[in-house]
Amino acid sequence: MSQHVVGVEAQRAASRARVRTRRGIPRHEAVTLWISRVVIWVVIVLTLAPMWFVVEAAFNPTNAYFSLGLFPSHPSFGNFAYLFHQTNFLIWVKNSALVGFTVSLGQVLVTALAAFAFSRLRFWGRKYGLMVLIILQMFPNFLALAAIYTALAELNLLNELWVYMLILMGGSAFNIWLLKRFFDSVPKELDDAAFVDGATVWQRFSRIILPLARPMLIVIFIFTLMGSFSEYILAGTILETPNNYTLGLGMYGLISNQFAKNWGYFAAAALLSAVPLAVTFGLLQKYIASGLMGGVKG
Amino acid sequence: MASSTAAQRPARVHRARVTGKDRLAAYGFLSPAILSLSVLSLVPMVFAIYIAFTNFDANHFLSYQWVGLQNFIALFNPNDPLFSVFIPTLEWTFMFAVGATVVNYLVGLFLAVVLNNRHMRESSIYRSLLIIPWAVPALISILAWQGLLNQDYGQINGFLHLFGIPAVNWLGQPFWARISILMVNLWAGFPFMMTVSLGALQAVPAELHEAAAIDGASKPQAFRFITLPEIWKLSLPLLIPSFAFNFNNFNAVYLLTGGGPPRPTNEFVGYTDILASAAYKMTLTFNLYNWAAAISVILFIIVGTLSWFNMRYTHAFEEADT
Repeated sequence: MSQHVVGVEAQRAASRARVRTRRGIPRHEAVTLWISRVVIWVVIVLTLAPMWFVVEAAFNPTNAYFSLGLFPSHPSFGNFAYLFHQTNFLIWVKNSALVGFTVSLGQVLVTALAAFAFSRLRFWGRKYGLMVLIILQMFPNFLALAAIYTALAELNLLNELWVYMLILMGGSAFNIWLLKRFFDSVPKELDDAAFVDGATVWQRFSRIILPLARPMLIVIFIFTLMGSFSEYILAGTILETPNNYTLGLGMYGLISNQFAKNWGYFAAAALLSAVPLAVTFGLLQKYIASGLMGGVKG
Repeated sequence: MASSTAAQRPARVHRARVTGKDRLAAYGFLSPAILSLSVLSLVPMVFAIYIAFTNFDANHFLSYQWVGLQNFIALFNPNDPLFSVFIPTLEWTFMFAVGATVVNYLVGLFLAVVLNNRHMRESSIYRSLLIIPWAVPALISILAWQGLLNQDYGQINGFLHLFGIPAVNWLGQPFWARISILMVNLWAGFPFMMTVSLGALQAVPAELHEAAAIDGASKPQAFRFITLPEIWKLSLPLLIPSFAFNFNNFNAVYLLTGGGPPRPTNEFVGYTDILASAAYKMTLTFNLYNWAAAISVILFIIVGTLSWFNMRYTHAFEEADT
């Protein structure tokens, strides 16, 4: 329409160069944008379809694998009812929640203390200490299994939930490194000022650095929480009786070698345990992204 | 950099006065981590290294002896049965660790570049949807995949059936079992790489692009010579732990295939066993502690050396000695 107002020739030349869509995006960028969208939609469908299969199976009472409609034909809560009445699902959840929260809290504390030392204090071994610790932790940890198992058997401490928690609480060099990087990005002037004002080392740590690092502490908490839900080797070794089972152990027992029979129950359990974790994770997403990159920039 | 050292200078004067006290505090802060690391990692590690030089197995449970390098020689001796266990497993472990890390990284980076489009206003919704696999504990999702990939009942084959594709024996054939492991690992692992890459993309200073535009660089050129090197620099420190993690990624293999399908030539390891799951089986199933320990020592030497060089190269894990 504006062609009548502006010179036609000039307008044509301009439109040849940059054809704009309604929202003012150049044509070639709009094409890229829509191709990108289609690619992303395809990837999203491919990513989420397997999860939808599991959701479907959870609500499918017939326990038949081949239900390929978008929704189960006769949805019911039968699988969930079985889970609550015929298995120890609630005990597994309770144990896993107890282990997860205790271990994560412990890890955050141990990690924060060590990361503070590496970031702010001077001591022998500071330069390469963290690197050495990270490399040492690459030693296959399940090999510790034989030693840990023998020691616990000697001390009569097998099949104790608190022992399992204590072992999982051991320091993680990688977490220390992540948190140290974050501490490093907190300006040194802040706690130096406090230091001049007579604050003790502990006050510098607890009053200044720790509150500022809250996002990163949350990240380490959630990583440890997820990790503890996925821990299988140690749990399988230490915890022996079903009333001490964690969720992973219980679900592994539910499904190993009996897929055809228990797939629906397993799917229901997977749904119930994954959703709360996924929601928590989703809510903390922005902390996770910034936490992983934090400090690299400097 | 220069300004920060200048700012630290007055502080150093204060610190110099209380070095002894400061150092004592440092060890106090470190002690919980060091203590737990020692008891749970170092002591068992020393024990395992010692076992690697003995004949500690089910037959010599109480009366094991020092045998020197015998276990290690057996691993590399083509005439020894252990050789046929070790070498193919080592090959697949490398293929898996490199493959999983590289594929996950490339897919993650690609998605990050696509999502990092300033015209795509809804990209945060896409990101939240794509991150979901990361938010499900791996133990649960891998077990679920075992069901989905089941040859007879699994929904993946059911889905392929809709398109007339005959059922694939995903977990029962060596080739497909390996593809399955890499696929499931990609599904579970790309969101991490995508998040890291997105963070790195957004950290690339805008001035660099402006300067390039002024110099007449085209968009692909700017991407190739500015964006990619910056992303590489930022993501490399996270790629190394990821490679080391995959090298020991017991869950990805053991929970999906159990190491199978079995090899007709030996009973100890299957086609998809990586060194970590092989060592696990040798400990718990076959009680061959000495072999498992020897394999683990070699595993550790490989991963440790690679990581050491990478860390020295990136400097990401070093502490400036100020």
